[in-house]
Amino acid sequence: MHKTARKLHQWLMLFLGLQFAIWSVTGAYMVYMDIDFIHGDDLVTDPQAKVQPAQMHYSLQQLTHAYPKINNISVDTLLGETVYRLTLAESESPNKVVISAQSGQVLTPLSELTAVSIAQSFYTGNGEVAEVTLITDNPPFELNPRHLPAWRINFDDFGAPSLYVSAQTGILVGKRHEFWRWFDWMFRFHIMDYSSGEDIDNALLFWVALLASFGALTGMVLVYFRVFKGLFMRRKKSRAQGVGVA
Amino acid sequence: MRWIRKWHKWVSVIVGIQVVLWLVSGLYFNLMDHTKAAGLTYFSQSKVSNPLDATMWVEPKAVLEQHRDSVALDTVFLLGKPFYLLSHQQGLYAHSYHQYTLVDGYSGEVVTLDAKWISKLAQASYTGGGKVAKLTLLTPPISAFPKQQNPTWQVNFADDIGTEVYVEAQSGRIVGHSDEHKKLADIFFMLHFMDYNNQGSFNNVPMMLMAFFSLWLTMTGCYWCIDLLRKGKLSRKRRNRLKTSAIKWS
Repeated sequence: MHKTARKLHQWLMLFLGLQFAIWSVTGAYMVYMDIDFIHGDDLVTDPQAKVQPAQMHYSLQQLTHAYPKINNISVDTLLGETVYRLTLAESESPNKVVISAQSGQVLTPLSELTAVSIAQSFYTGNGEVAEVTLITDNPPFELNPRHLPAWRINFDDFGAPSLYVSAQTGILVGKRHEFWRWFDWMFRFHIMDYSSGEDIDNALLFWVALLASFGALTGMVLVYFRVFKGLFMRRKKSRAQGVGVA
Repeated sequence: MRWIRKWHKWVSVIVGIQVVLWLVSGLYFNLMDHTKAAGLTYFSQSKVSNPLDATMWVEPKAVLEQHRDSVALDTVFLLGKPFYLLSHQQGLYAHSYHQYTLVDGYSGEVVTLDAKWISKLAQASYTGGGKVAKLTLLTPPISAFPKQQNPTWQVNFADDIGTEVYVEAQSGRIVGHSDEHKKLADIFFMLHFMDYNNQGSFNNVPMMLMAFFSLWLTMTGCYWCIDLLRKGKLSRKRRNRLKTSAIKWS
């Protein structure tokens, strides 16, 4: 049993050892990095800016006159200004509009300048804006395609942070930095998904994890023989000796 | 090399069982039905967006002026009925701490969702055949959704998998469903993340300690493997050498 376990353990680990190393390194990264930090929660402020009803001179009636097919209305603030955010019927294009509640002026799609101002108003770091891009298709993996079109504002700062502002709503739709990007890679390697990065139920992972379980169990058998059995034997021996002396 | 072997042996005593648990739970995640594991067996996916009849709604300005300061106002439909949802305090995520007031969209009156409302909202999100058996108002922490930081109703349905629907008390938002399948999956998540305090996170001290030791285990193991390969001790033909080394190891 001992010898078989040792041979099995050696041979299995010869092939699986690298994946075990990958699992422990990627796992350790994910465990040691605080998940809220990874999500970029520290990159943005939480201003809780209050709506100013006194500023609202443009009424709901005027609004519906201009946009007869509204599915949803929100009132909140954009750079301190009280605004209406409308979601229009799916047939309308674009189907999202932001309107000043004071003047009724249409504020979207956002200009580059406004997008940058919004990103800066959220950003907690000290870095300067390094690059601004409007993404209309083929979003990077770190941005959900449903947020398109969106402005990507890169900051020249520790961890190369990027903030994403929806061009259609002015809402902050993404906050990423290098640590998130690494985390994403770590997760892919952890679940052995070398294609899309999201499928945990892939066949490669199944076979490797199954064999790895045998590898670990044979390792446990070795632990029993090398450590615990020895301890029991020694205790028995010393008890036997104790009796002899008495 | 002697130290590498010693480290490998003693570290495996510490992490061995957890490594087996990691692998078994990992295999479970690989094989599980993700819809069932997320508690979505009887979850209604339908999302209807009603076009609103703006002539009926109270002016948002008037609603905002009647209540304490708000960060946002949103139109929402609960069971097809129109409401304004005022957010006095907003969190970064839906599960973060919020303070809401719900106002009837047509009359402007404040509405508190009572047990009858909650029960109907839960039923609307439910596709199973069970009836509502029990309603309980919970305050966080909520074991089925450890991140949820707002008071939430738990609505129990009498069905084959013990479905529980969680409805946020102030807003009427469906937080999620839970059932036997999700509870089983949650046990495996607890084992994999060593989340024995149910914080819904893997950033915990026992996990960090085990991660540290498992790094040592795999690194010493890999080194040992390379050493065996280099010395040719893994070759099947050299049985004698294996035997002598076996004596040396034990």
